[in-house]
Amino acid sequence: MNPFEKIFNYQILSRLDETGAFALTSQERVWLKSMLQLEAAEHAFTPETLDKLHTLLQDEEPFHLQHIIIEKGRNKERHVYHPLLRQLRRFITGGQGFRLTMKLKHGGHKVDQTGIPYKLEYSMVKREWYLLWYGTRQHSLMSTKLRNIVEIHAWNLSAERAAAAKARLFELLEMRKRGALIEVNPLYNVELSRVLSAFSCFDKKVSYMEETDTYRIHIQHLADETEFLLSKIRFLGLRVKVIDEGYMKKRMLEASTKALMRYAASEPLP
Amino acid sequence: MARESFDKEIQFLRLLALTGDAYNRQQFAARLGISVHTYDKTLRYLKEMMNANQQGLTSEQDMELSEAIRYNHYESADPLLLFLYRAKSIKASEGVRFALLLSSMREQALTAMELMDICSEAMPADYPVPDEKTIRGDLKYMEEIGVIFRTDGKRPFRYRASTGLVDALSEDELIDLYDFVDILANTQIPSVQGYLLRDTLKKALRLRGLDTDITESHVYKYHFHSRILDEAHLYTIYQAIEARRKLTFLYLSPKKEKRYASKNTNPLFERESEGIWLTVLPLRVIYDHQYGRWYLIAHQTKQGVMKFRMEGLTGVELSDAVTAEEFDIRLAHAERNLQQSWVIDTMRPIPVKVRFFRPEGSKHDFVRERVELQGQWGTITDESETTFIYHIVVNGITEIKPWLRSFGSSCEVLAPSWLRKEFIAEWKEIQSYYEPVREDL
Repeated sequence: MNPFEKIFNYQILSRLDETGAFALTSQERVWLKSMLQLEAAEHAFTPETLDKLHTLLQDEEPFHLQHIIIEKGRNKERHVYHPLLRQLRRFITGGQGFRLTMKLKHGGHKVDQTGIPYKLEYSMVKREWYLLWYGTRQHSLMSTKLRNIVEIHAWNLSAERAAAAKARLFELLEMRKRGALIEVNPLYNVELSRVLSAFSCFDKKVSYMEETDTYRIHIQHLADETEFLLSKIRFLGLRVKVIDEGYMKKRMLEASTKALMRYAASEPLP
Repeated sequence: MARESFDKEIQFLRLLALTGDAYNRQQFAARLGISVHTYDKTLRYLKEMMNANQQGLTSEQDMELSEAIRYNHYESADPLLLFLYRAKSIKASEGVRFALLLSSMREQALTAMELMDICSEAMPADYPVPDEKTIRGDLKYMEEIGVIFRTDGKRPFRYRASTGLVDALSEDELIDLYDFVDILANTQIPSVQGYLLRDTLKKALRLRGLDTDITESHVYKYHFHSRILDEAHLYTIYQAIEARRKLTFLYLSPKKEKRYASKNTNPLFERESEGIWLTVLPLRVIYDHQYGRWYLIAHQTKQGVMKFRMEGLTGVELSDAVTAEEFDIRLAHAERNLQQSWVIDTMRPIPVKVRFFRPEGSKHDFVRERVELQGQWGTITDESETTFIYHIVVNGITEIKPWLRSFGSSCEVLAPSWLRKEFIAEWKEIQSYYEPVREDL
């Protein structure tokens, strides 16, 4: 199970590409066999395919690597697979429009929403699936939890309308991009790896100023990710500081002021 | 032959993934503890690999490595750091031969002699025609790693490529399998084998003439993608734990400036090594989802339970074995110590009591939802319409503190009182970061 096998070498890979062959190793099959034991597998395949896969993999050795791993700080899982994934991924690749009914957050349903799908997105934080789509009624970009979809059917729209909707979708996605500039307090430079790890899940660029030994992180995110980014900044506390003027800075001032008011309310601050 | 080590490549890619193009060549090389010449050489090799790997997948040619590694959520779910695992060096002739052998055995079962004939006919003129020993060696290796199998027990043995898993599936089934592997590799650990299989299946889909964007329907939010670099040591650690063997390695604390130490063969130039050589008994590994980082939990005679960031391990080698009794005692001891650790802290347990506030002006209580999802073994008690109390007994407070702080003003620490004081002091300082400067008149 050494992942550094010769057969994975990039030159072999591209040579194989040229000849139309591929190498399938037992470590890949063994990994798959262990993943098929998870509940997720039941939603991923038809029962016939699942049987077929079990038969194809029956001679492989079991995989025990997971036994030595302890996971910490992990959110409770809602699901890894959702039964709608198979249908929706086919809508996406087929460019198929849909009509859907969804549950609302505070009760009730929203019926007959039409749109075209963009991507299926899994949130590692919420541990569940979302459908990103363009609503042809709302003319906006939507993000709907799969567990809130009550009903979904194919809905046909003309090729021109579909193309226009898709173009608008990309425009909207572009418009939702935001930037944030964060500076690492040089007193905490020894913890740089921790700080950068925490931000490594964002699209970011880092700059370094040698004279002052200061690091700045330029983050590009989508508008709806602002709250998550703010929670990361609070998570890191004194180590980092938002330095560009604007919303994020205002929110950080608000959070600290309000937090101090909470403490003062229970007993006067020293 | 010495085992090929990828320590330098791992550290190189990690620094690149974390800092992008923040450093110039000299600064980058200095931080890795390598010469600028080695920096250039490594960068060239990695770029060459990246370009070869992306063949036929994207039109962008000769992209900057730092740009390529930059995380781009909606454009690709391809884990670029995976190419670390494609770095094992081979001879050019080997690459040609393996491709030729595998494509021949995909069509039909063949004997070593038949394969030799195929090679002598089809090997490009610039490469030597392999002899029987070489072919038998190749077959032995490929059989060991499961890429080919013997079709029956009769001599001369016939071999076929083990691609049954893919060949037996219909197009639709293959798409389902690709999705399953994609999703599981992205959401579960360990994932390197899954990502490798994902690449193989992607290729199989292409060979069936399916459009390349068939593999672009899923995206994953907030991935710590450098986590796959740490999996490089996972297999060696697993082997050691299974065999109850100790591990020897040079530990370079990630808190130090330098991330790698090259081994200089000329003793005159040998630098004082910044790390420490250690021999420990590995027990478990811990994956921290908050930062996407791995830790090795081990036992050492003098220190007892020890914890190492996996990214600091270099030159990892297996060493002596211990008895089953000893291993079990050490493991039980470590597990007891870690039971109430938020991540890996084994300090004394402390009861923590916190008040959480419902978000104002929102019907949906996302604060409570988050505490329920992330609060581990802590318990929740309702207090009032707008607040609830969270209790937890946790080893030390350093690890839970950032989590509590991330709730901002929705969280008030009640006990212990010294922690409450610390929070007040910290919020005052954070406030001072953002308060507009008042000018004295």
